[in-house]
Amino acid sequence: MTETTGRAAPTTSPQPPAAPAVTAPRSARRSRPVGEHGWGSTAVGVAIIAVMLFPLYWMLNVSLQRSSGAVATPVLPFDLSFDGYATALREQSGNLLTSLVVAVGAVVLSLLVATPAAYALAQLRIRWAGGVLLAVLVSQMVPGIVIANALYSAYSDLGLLNSVAGLVLADAGLGIPFGILIMRAFMSAIPTSVVEAARVDGAGQVRAFVSVVLPMSRNALITAGLFTFLFAWGDFLFALTLTTTGEVRPVTLGIYTYIGTFVNDWSAVMATAVLASLPALLLLVVAQRYVSAGVTGGAVK
Amino acid sequence: MTAPPTARAAAGSSRATPDGAAPGGASPRRRGLRSPRTRARALELAFLAPAALYLLLFFAYPVAKNVVMGFQEYTTRTFFTGEAPWVGLDNYAAVLGSSLFDRALLNTVLFTGGSILGQFVLGLAIAVFFQRRFPLSGLLRSLLLLPWLVPLIVTSAVWRWMLDQDNGVINRAIGLLPLVDARPGWLTSTSLALLAVVLVNIWIGIPFNTTILYGGLQEIPGELYEAGALDGATGWRAFRHITWPLLRPVVTVVLVLGVVYTLKVLDIILGLTGGGPANATQTLSTQSYELSFRQFDFGQGAALGNVLIVISLVFAAVYLRANRRAVDE
Amino acid sequence: MVRRGTSHRALTAALALGVPLALAGCGGGDQAVGGSGGGGGGGGDGTTLRVLDYYNNEPDKTVFQDVIDACGEAAGVAIEREAVPGNDLISTVLQQSSSRTLPDVLMLDNPDLQEIAASGALAPLSQFGITAEGYADGVVEASTYDGELYGLQPVTNTIALFYNEALLAEAGVEPPTTWEELESAAAALTTGDRYGLAFSAINTYEGTWQFLPFMWSNGGDESDIATPETAEALQLWVDLVSSGSASQSVVNWSQADVNDQFAAGNAAMQINGPWQFPVLDAVDGLDYGVVQIPAPSAGDTVVAPFGGETWTVPQTGDADRQALAAQVVQCINDDDNMVTLATERGTVPTKPALVDAAVEAQPAIEPFAEQLPDLRSRTGELGEEWPTAATAIYTAVQDALVNGTDPAEALAAAQSGS
Repeated sequence: MTETTGRAAPTTSPQPPAAPAVTAPRSARRSRPVGEHGWGSTAVGVAIIAVMLFPLYWMLNVSLQRSSGAVATPVLPFDLSFDGYATALREQSGNLLTSLVVAVGAVVLSLLVATPAAYALAQLRIRWAGGVLLAVLVSQMVPGIVIANALYSAYSDLGLLNSVAGLVLADAGLGIPFGILIMRAFMSAIPTSVVEAARVDGAGQVRAFVSVVLPMSRNALITAGLFTFLFAWGDFLFALTLTTTGEVRPVTLGIYTYIGTFVNDWSAVMATAVLASLPALLLLVVAQRYVSAGVTGGAVK
Repeated sequence: MTAPPTARAAAGSSRATPDGAAPGGASPRRRGLRSPRTRARALELAFLAPAALYLLLFFAYPVAKNVVMGFQEYTTRTFFTGEAPWVGLDNYAAVLGSSLFDRALLNTVLFTGGSILGQFVLGLAIAVFFQRRFPLSGLLRSLLLLPWLVPLIVTSAVWRWMLDQDNGVINRAIGLLPLVDARPGWLTSTSLALLAVVLVNIWIGIPFNTTILYGGLQEIPGELYEAGALDGATGWRAFRHITWPLLRPVVTVVLVLGVVYTLKVLDIILGLTGGGPANATQTLSTQSYELSFRQFDFGQGAALGNVLIVISLVFAAVYLRANRRAVDE
Repeated sequence: MVRRGTSHRALTAALALGVPLALAGCGGGDQAVGGSGGGGGGGGDGTTLRVLDYYNNEPDKTVFQDVIDACGEAAGVAIEREAVPGNDLISTVLQQSSSRTLPDVLMLDNPDLQEIAASGALAPLSQFGITAEGYADGVVEASTYDGELYGLQPVTNTIALFYNEALLAEAGVEPPTTWEELESAAAALTTGDRYGLAFSAINTYEGTWQFLPFMWSNGGDESDIATPETAEALQLWVDLVSSGSASQSVVNWSQADVNDQFAAGNAAMQINGPWQFPVLDAVDGLDYGVVQIPAPSAGDTVVAPFGGETWTVPQTGDADRQALAAQVVQCINDDDNMVTLATERGTVPTKPALVDAAVEAQPAIEPFAEQLPDLRSRTGELGEEWPTAATAIYTAVQDALVNGTDPAEALAAAQSGS
């Protein structure tokens, strides 16, 4: 990323073009002037989203039908029925809570472990950083079943089966390597000058990390956290293999047993799926607002 | 991934000892671990330690186990008796020599290549599109991640219905088109099945690509574009000379991870076609599952799983080296 | 019966069986065959027996609960029962096998018994004085491994031809009894968006299961499927699909999907089993009838595979518990319970002597019940090697239906490739 530091110098010299740079950081990062695109772009955006989300519409459609096989489902739920939702709420609300707890826990653990590591690999000069990165990358190549398999025996011996903690630990594995890779890519862009400035001012390594690097990497943290949440929320493999009784049952497993139980009642299944998406959707919307903010720009100057 | 920062980081670390101890640590009053340089070093390693520990426990260990299993004859009998006789390379020979292997390999390459190409190009296009500010852009962008909230079981079931030859929504829509008379058997004809599966996988992968690329695009300071605009670089030129180089590290991560994840894809294919029809969508991953859990030959399944990991590794190594060379040039 | 709930054979089955791999490392060899403490899950004084089955749907769940509880009482033990989803059973068994925590009474889908018995996890029933006298031959064969009886199966079912009465009446077609009649009936019933016949030719054991009656009735055999008899059976399926009487999508349909099609009126006839009765009965305005699957020619016997679960006694290392468990298994299989289970679950008792009583109580079962003497075990001939043959069968079927390969060639290729 030496190109960033190389280019930054010449662009700050001439005065008049610096005027746009003086405006609020947010607009300075837009690649096109604000407000030039209006509802036309919105229409295109809506079209894109409509195409992407059509299968989800279908899911919603089936959930609102009377319970049945899903063969001849009409395109619109003319015959509205909330039976599916009633069943789903009645039976799956506990599972939704479990999923939420596990996913949030996984995010916290992932970020705690991955962020310092990403920083170390990106900024600190570590001799075998390349090797570690490769190891992280390789970890992503391992099929999930292989991992679940080995974890089961270990968990069984340690008594971690059927526990929220166990699931959090396992699901964190979905986010840590990924988080390291993503955040490292983002953190490589932070010029060392900034960190050094902090160090020169007397901050220790940790302080520099916490007070300078972290705020600047908020964007990366949010992205990594977001995906870890989604991975953990949608995890089915660990939910299935690391729980043997119904005590701790994430909603993905709940849906699976549902399908096994109600082979032909897809409306209940789809209703559960819809309900399962709602809390995560809320989190998504909130998080996205942070991602769009981004923070790097201000500190570069 | 770009090479770890070298020169400037070196400069950084030597300045990390402001209290003046000689970098070489040649002070006569060595205080062992308490020497500032070693302590600084230890601290740096401490950043990495939790992650390293986690990786060892949760990844290295399972991989080692899988490697061992690839050399054993592991069947249902083993579960009860605990015996898994060593068979050396027999499992690998059986797996690599099977008539299905070539087909599965080809399908894997096609599936992965097609998926990544589609996901990345479309993902990037959408990410660039969302760089604009327009009403509701934030909301729409978050909605894009919605498919990821739905468990894959449900997603694959929904797509199966949609792609049904007789009653699926897709064919119903095609039926509405004026000049078209076809009712493609998306999941039931060997020629189309792989395509259908690739398209569904692209659909699944777009949100991932878009979100990360969007984040990366956001990192690029706006003043660069403005400065570039002054020099006459706008639109496509701006993309090529400003956006692309700065996006490189993020692109690398997205592509490499994308390939690695896609090679492992199992659930979607199983959900849509189960590897069929007539093995038209059988990939190395699904074949590994089939060996382990339908034929209960876990040894062979593990062997094939290891082959898959090696392929991933080779790809990553080749790509990263090529990328590094490109960056250096 | 092929496990229900396989309509989503996806990662559910896949990952469900991920568990056994987990056990790969656990237990393994370093745990001695469980002493008296190893197997018992309930109270240490041995008065609670653990039961594992996959009847987690209603009405099965309650019906069996009642029977098992009553049997527990009769044997003087308390029952702790676990009902897991169908796809999970084998993985749970392997898991428990490895950690030496097998239940005291284990239910298995009959074709799976061979595999589990071969691993040494089950106790031969003869040591408890249990015999399979009075049972249908095929049923006994399935529960016998290496000459020893390992399980007792109280009820069974098979597949037959369901037809939509209204649609057949409309077309003036009689329910077919031979292959030729089947083809013409299906053709006559195919109009517009509706197909004459729906069946499952999916690339899983379910597809194999559906093909077996056609293969066996015509003289085909699973030990070598590259025979003219089997090719003729496959040709029938190919003709049905290529003539348009059956949808090309059969290669992707599970039995549940097939039932959906039939229930929605997209198919006038279907090949399916009595477990679909509750679903079909709930559909408004659907009047359906059931006849045996058509025979190759008039007068031929229809040989069909049978489903149903068998009850076994795993080796838990505790002789007393095992004896009590055997009592429970025997009780589940006594005559009264057999008839109860049959009538309340739309299945057929496995003792020919009791069939009449069951049919009287539930006439809808008759087309299935009359096939009892001719039912054939899937694992009878090949034992643990059955999965390989089963895979070859569905591979050949898919090859012929999808690639258009000549049936004889497809079968030969599958037979040699396996």
